[in-house]
Amino acid sequence: MSNVLESDLEDFGALVKQSSPELLEYLEKGDFSGAFNVIQDLSEARHKSFYNEVGSLTRSLHDAIRDFQIESIGSSSSQQEGEATSKIADASDRLNYVIETTSAAANKTMDMVDESVPVSSELQQRAKELRKDWGRLIQRDLTPQEFRELYKRIDTFLAYADDSATTLHSNLNTILLEQGYQDLTGQVITRVNDLIRDVEEKLVHLVAVAGRVDSISGVKHQDKKVAEHDDDRGHGPAINKQNNPEVLNSQDDVDDLLSSLGF
Amino acid sequence: MKILIVDDFSTMRRIIKNLLRDLGFTNTVEADDGVTALPILQGGTIDFLVTDWNMPGMTGIELLRAVRADSKLKTIPVLMVTAEAKRDQIISAAQAGVNGYVVKPFTAVALKEKIEKIFERIDAAK
Repeated sequence: MSNVLESDLEDFGALVKQSSPELLEYLEKGDFSGAFNVIQDLSEARHKSFYNEVGSLTRSLHDAIRDFQIESIGSSSSQQEGEATSKIADASDRLNYVIETTSAAANKTMDMVDESVPVSSELQQRAKELRKDWGRLIQRDLTPQEFRELYKRIDTFLAYADDSATTLHSNLNTILLEQGYQDLTGQVITRVNDLIRDVEEKLVHLVAVAGRVDSISGVKHQDKKVAEHDDDRGHGPAINKQNNPEVLNSQDDVDDLLSSLGF
Repeated sequence: MKILIVDDFSTMRRIIKNLLRDLGFTNTVEADDGVTALPILQGGTIDFLVTDWNMPGMTGIELLRAVRADSKLKTIPVLMVTAEAKRDQIISAAQAGVNGYVVKPFTAVALKEKIEKIFERIDAAK
């Protein structure tokens, strides 16, 4: 029965079936030693096939993780063992990079807005004042002295308008360029996404094998109810709002719900 | 009018701070979760609380409940500005005594509207 040891998990069930007449025969003959030999062989085959399967799964899981690479934080010289964990840590680092990059871009954009708002306010303020006196000019309501002043003020205003437009234009350009974060972070997220999908695939495989092992070994598990996510801790932004009747789609829906509660 | 803005993301705090400034509220302070917000509130100078929901440490709903349970703080108006949009959560917030609820992403108009509505109610109650 040496070939039994080579059998893998899929064949194990067949092997049990195949061996049972033999086992029965020994038992009927009263040959307990022969019967125990069959049981022994079955037991060894079971262990062996299980370890083979776990070994191959471990290798494929390891491969999936090792395949995940984002350049620059490579630790190619590190040992095989450390490498597997470093790729996950790398994914985590990369997600932190996303947080930092989006935060930097948001802050830079807001810096530009903060810088631009006073410029546009000042421009508006000066234009309003000039417009008032310009209206009086049209009405021929200005003294010659006032007219001379207006003449000078218009010159100053035009220079200021020119400078302001230049500043605003440059700030808008900076805001535009800052949006490049979307490309950079998008690339990183796509890679992390691929890793997650890959790992999930392997995990599903692992669960399937675990199920097969359970069915052969007769181990029964108590189904644990998955703990519901606590509303108090929060869920973060809802991604598939349209498909979830529990999630409100807009501020209007929220307002409607609140007003139905007497708000 | 001193307003406390509580959010774990500094960019969101900054957005809210800028919008409030445009609405004429220039006196603001910031905290990054309920744990850091509570001592500031207990300092007794805060007139209005704007808080996120989902934060590490103490969440916004917990902060709201803590504020309502504190005899000195319970009358402070609380505006929730959050991405949490589950029906049950909004009901919980209403039951906990929130004064307004704005879902992210939000507009300047929505924020303005809610704040004005809260003040209208407070004035009407006087």
